[in-house]
Amino acid sequence: MMEAQTIPKPIIPRFPSLKFILRAVAVLIVAALFFVPNYVEDTYILHMMILIFINVVMGSSWNILGGYTGQYSVGHAAYFGAGAYTTMLLLQYKQVAPWYGVWVGAAAALVVAVIIGSICFRLRGPYFVLASIAVAEIFRVATLNLKDITNGAEGVLITEIPPLVIGGRLITDWASKVPFYYIGLVFALLIIGVTWLVRNSKLGYYFQAIREDQDAAHSLGIGLTFYKNVALAISAIFTSLAGSLYAVYVGFIDPSTVLGLDVSVQIVIICIIGGIGTITGPVVGAVLLVPLSEALRSNMITDLLIKVGIVGEETRMGLFLKEHLSQAHVLIYGILVVVTILYMPAGIVGFVRRMTARKARA
Amino acid sequence: MEIFFQSLISGILIGGVYALIGIGLTIIFGVMRVINFAHGELLMLGMYATYFLHAVFHIDPFVSIVITIPLMFLYGAILQKIFINRILDALPQNQILLTIGLGLIMSNAVMLAFTSDYKILTTTYSSSSVTLFGISLSTPLMISFAITAVITAALYWFLLKTDTGQAIRATAQDREAARLMGINVKRMSIIAFGLGSALAATAGALISPTYYIFPQVGSAFTLKAFVITVLGGMGSVVGATLGGVLIGVAESTGGVYFGSGWKEVVVFVLFLLVLLFKPAGLFGKSRT
Repeated sequence: MMEAQTIPKPIIPRFPSLKFILRAVAVLIVAALFFVPNYVEDTYILHMMILIFINVVMGSSWNILGGYTGQYSVGHAAYFGAGAYTTMLLLQYKQVAPWYGVWVGAAAALVVAVIIGSICFRLRGPYFVLASIAVAEIFRVATLNLKDITNGAEGVLITEIPPLVIGGRLITDWASKVPFYYIGLVFALLIIGVTWLVRNSKLGYYFQAIREDQDAAHSLGIGLTFYKNVALAISAIFTSLAGSLYAVYVGFIDPSTVLGLDVSVQIVIICIIGGIGTITGPVVGAVLLVPLSEALRSNMITDLLIKVGIVGEETRMGLFLKEHLSQAHVLIYGILVVVTILYMPAGIVGFVRRMTARKARA
Repeated sequence: MEIFFQSLISGILIGGVYALIGIGLTIIFGVMRVINFAHGELLMLGMYATYFLHAVFHIDPFVSIVITIPLMFLYGAILQKIFINRILDALPQNQILLTIGLGLIMSNAVMLAFTSDYKILTTTYSSSSVTLFGISLSTPLMISFAITAVITAALYWFLLKTDTGQAIRATAQDREAARLMGINVKRMSIIAFGLGSALAATAGALISPTYYIFPQVGSAFTLKAFVITVLGGMGSVVGATLGGVLIGVAESTGGVYFGSGWKEVVVFVLFLLVLLFKPAGLFGKSRT
C-alpha cells in the first residue's frame, strides 16, 4: 500500500478500454436480438429465448430487492402468481385483453407487496427469509382453496387471446411465438434499464447502504422500512410482468406452477448462480440455466449421449436415463447452487470479475 | 364437543412426530446457527428408507427405525463434514441457499432413482383404529406417538445427563466459550447434524404408514419444522417439543373448523404472529 502511494503509476487511458468494448458488444447483441425472429424460424429456439427473457425479468426484479437492498426474499412466487392469476382471470372470465390485464396484474402485485412488506420488513436475516416463504405459501394455499374465483387446483386455461388491433390495423393475432418474443425482449430490456437507473441513482445508494449495514444506514437518516418497501415495489411489479407474460404465453396456470415454493427458489437461484447485486448476473444466470434445464427436460442430453455413443440406446443405462433424467431437471439447479455457494459465492459474474481484476494487477 | 376432543387428541398424536422434526432442526440451529432448509428432505429420505426396508425385507416400519436411525445419523454427519462445515462462517443467506441446494439434490436424486410416483406403505394395521370414550384413535398414530415419547425421553436424558449431551448444549449456548473449555466444537457440530437428520428420518419413518411417499414430500415438512422451532424459540429443545404438539393441535383443530384445505394457512398465520409479536418464541427466553 505504502509503496504504491510513493510511486504513483502514471494513468494512461487505454482506448478503447475493456469496458467500452464490452458495452459495444452488449449493444450489438441487443440490436441483433431484435432481428432474430426475422431469420430464425425454428419455434423451439424462439421458445427457449422467450423463457430466457422471462427468467431474466424474474431474476433481475428479485435482484433489486435481494441483490441491491440485501433482503433475501424467498417468496417472490407471490408476485409472479399475482400477475399471472390477475391477467389470466381477467382474460378468461371478463374478456379483458392481456395488454390491459398485465397492468392490473402489476397493481395486484403491488397490493400484495404492500401487505408482505408491512409484515416481513419488521424482521431481519433468516427470520425475514422464513416470513417471506410463509406469506407466499399463504397466498398459494388461499388460491388453491378459493375455487369460486381461481378454479382451485384445476388452474386456469385460456381458450383464446383477442387479436391486437391498433388504429384499425391488425398488429398480431398471437398465433406465432414472435409477438411473445418481442414482449419478452422489451420487458427484459426494461428491467435491465430500470436496474441501471436505480443503481446509479440516490435511491440505489440508499438501497446499497441498507444492504451493507442496516443500523448504520438508519443512523444516517435512511428510512429503512420505506426504502425496503420501495425496492420491494419495483421488484414486485416487474416480477408480476414476468408472471403475466409466462401465463399468457403458456396459456395455462395452476397454483403449483406459478405460486409454488419452487418458483421462488428458482428466482433466487438464477441470481445466485449469475451473481447477485450485478446487472449482468441475472442475465448470465438465465442464459445458463434455462437451456440447461430445458435440455434435460426434453431428453436432449440423453439423446446426445446416445448419439455420441457413450450410452447405448437399448442398454439398461440408456433406457434408465431416457425415462428418468427428464424428470430430474431441477437436480442440475441443486448441484449448481451448492457448487456456487462453496466455490464462488459472488456468482459467475463476481468470479469472472475477480479473475480479470487479478490478471490486471499481475 | 366430541369433535373438538377428537381433533385435539389426533392433533397431539401427530404433534409428537412434529416435535421430533422440530427438535432435530432446533439442535442443528442451536449448535451451528445454521437453518437447515433440507430438513424435510432428510425426513423424505427416512420415508423412502422405511418404504424399501418394508418392501424388500418385509421389516415392519416401526421396527425398521433401528436401521434407519444409525444410517441417517451417519448420512447427516457426512453432510455436515463435507458441506455444512464449510459455510459455518458464511452469510446466513448463503447458508440457507446451500441447504436449499442440498435439499434439491436429495429430492431430485430420489426422483431420478424412483420417479415421482406416489408410493404407499400398507401394513395390516394402517387403517385400523381403537375407539376410546367415543373418540377413535388411529393405531399407527398411537404407536408412533408412543415411540416418539420414548425417543424424546431418551434424547432428553442424553442431552441432560451424558458428557456429550452436555457438551452439545454448551456449544449451543456459546460456541466460543465451549471451545475455550476444551470442547471439541467441530465434533459436536457433526454429532448435532447427525442427530438432527436421524430425528427427521425417524419422524419420516413413523409417518410413512399414514402418508403418501413421494420425492417432493419434504418441502411441506421443512416449512412445518420452521414454524415449530420459531414457535418454541430457535435453539430450545423444550420449546420445539411443545411447539410440535401445538402445531399438531392447531392443524387438526384448524382443519376441523376452517376446512382441511385451510389448515396450513392457520399454521402459517400463527407462525407470522409469533414472528412479529414474540420473535423469541412462545417458550423461549428473549435473547438480545
